[in-house]
Amino acid sequence: MSVHRSAATSPRWSPHLLRRAQLWLMLAPFLAGAFLLIGLPTLLTAGLAFTRYDAIMPPVWVGLENFAAIFRREVFWIAVRNSLLFALTAAPLQVLGALLLALLLHPVRRGVEGYRSAVYLSAVVPDVAYALIWLWLFNPLYGPINLVLAAVRLPQPLWLADPATALAALVIMAAVRVGEGMLLLIAARQALPAAFFQAAMLDGAGRWSAFRYITWPLLLPWLLLLLVRDVVIGAHAAFTPTLIMTGGGPGYATTLLPFLIYEEAFGSLRIGQAAAMMSVMFAAIGLFVWLVFRRSGGWAQVDEP
Amino acid sequence: MNHRQPFSRGRLARLGWHAAALAVAALFLAPLLWVVSASLQPVGLPPARTIGWFPHGVAWANYGEIFRLVPLAQQIANSLLVSVTGATLTILTASWAGYAMAQMPPAVRGWLVGLALLLLLAPTSAVWLPRYVLFAHLGLIDTYVALVAPALMGAKSLFVLMYFWHFRSVTPELFESAWLDGAGVWTSWRRIALPLARPTTLAVAVLAFSHFWSDFVDPLLFLKSPERFTVAVGLRMFQQMETTHWALLLAAVMVMIAPVILFYFVLQGALQRSNHPLRRSLQGG
Repeated sequence: MSVHRSAATSPRWSPHLLRRAQLWLMLAPFLAGAFLLIGLPTLLTAGLAFTRYDAIMPPVWVGLENFAAIFRREVFWIAVRNSLLFALTAAPLQVLGALLLALLLHPVRRGVEGYRSAVYLSAVVPDVAYALIWLWLFNPLYGPINLVLAAVRLPQPLWLADPATALAALVIMAAVRVGEGMLLLIAARQALPAAFFQAAMLDGAGRWSAFRYITWPLLLPWLLLLLVRDVVIGAHAAFTPTLIMTGGGPGYATTLLPFLIYEEAFGSLRIGQAAAMMSVMFAAIGLFVWLVFRRSGGWAQVDEP
Repeated sequence: MNHRQPFSRGRLARLGWHAAALAVAALFLAPLLWVVSASLQPVGLPPARTIGWFPHGVAWANYGEIFRLVPLAQQIANSLLVSVTGATLTILTASWAGYAMAQMPPAVRGWLVGLALLLLLAPTSAVWLPRYVLFAHLGLIDTYVALVAPALMGAKSLFVLMYFWHFRSVTPELFESAWLDGAGVWTSWRRIALPLARPTTLAVAVLAFSHFWSDFVDPLLFLKSPERFTVAVGLRMFQQMETTHWALLLAAVMVMIAPVILFYFVLQGALQRSNHPLRRSLQGG
């Protein structure tokens, strides 16, 4: 200790400062990466939204023209509607599914790890592979889903080939991917003190009231966090399935915003308009996160699980 | 209590629970089993329109055929190069950042954790358009640098947080006293922190490898030459062939998901054996 004290009085770098500087150096790649790959691109999106840019000629400042242009285009509003429909159905279903599975699979019993793994496995499958697997599952003629429906004499939709069911099919395949949410909620449920439930049982509470008055309110912050996560990530993650499975069709039935942005930027080389669309999407997601954050009074409870 | 009686209430309830859990597990495993079965159907025959596992016999040859139809071996090599490089860099940068974060004063630490959590909510796929413009200006299009670049920030801020949580839970005084003993920051990172964090490193290695292996959007946007394609974008080659080649497409899908699933079980087994507190939380990521 005394060695460092005396060194600290020297005019050169004190060991404390040197140590702090070295720690910042260790953080440098992370901070630089976060700035270069997330921060700067986000700012760049906002900037490009006000320019006409085709990736060949330098960008030209056009003010609000891009926003005026996309708001006039019908396909933009179709994509907004589809994206809202998708996010507002898939994400709540995903959270509900994760909650039901967590309630079923949270007890520590023999074999439970195997059951959890079986559910979690679909979350491990890469997005492209997942999309291709579902493309085949939804095949109207040979796909297992319709073969099973035919076997039990239920109507067999054309799924991705029918504008009326295509978006619903994408919602179904997104909603059943609940592995991560389930594990998070299992961990949260197991962290609830058993004494609460024992006390409730002694007071004669049934299973439903134990859920209604203990589990549900205590898990609510986690459910909100999951919902926000699923909406935010789902809004972007829907890109791969639309590209692989439907190409935005039939018609514009599954044209979601990320797919339209991709088409605008890399198909039509209207990067300015694509950036304007992306800015609108960012703003909408930011507003949604902020609203949930305000309603829930912050997530102080969940920042260090 | 009464668990010796054959038909006690508790026992019935337990049986009912197992039945429900088994049904759920079967429902979730069914698509994967169907894919295995469909990938082994002989090519050229009309696809079966009945439910049956192997109506036309088992065609193991499909798994050889896919390597002849498409440069799959090359794509696997490319994917391995990207994933191994990406995972290695991720372990370095994420463990540095997590280690440094854990030793910052509380105010700075809170700010950094907040930043990492914010980054968790900003999915990287949201910024691919400006990234493309940026990479194009830097001349990084059609190079693997564009694919591996996210490893600079620990690939996903979750990995940084995993190291941070680990180093916070492991006696902060340990690093303090190592420093007082004259060990520099880098020495104690290498000699003390990394060996302590071995389970976390295993988890980050597996998750980061899977992340880079599964990455589809980045190679789709940033790679131009077919000989540089990774397996993820290579799968589209099968899709763009005739539609009757379902068996071959699904065989290629199986080849792509096999290592990811294998690594998941390796990780789960290792964490179970070490019974590490991170076990639950990181499976949630």
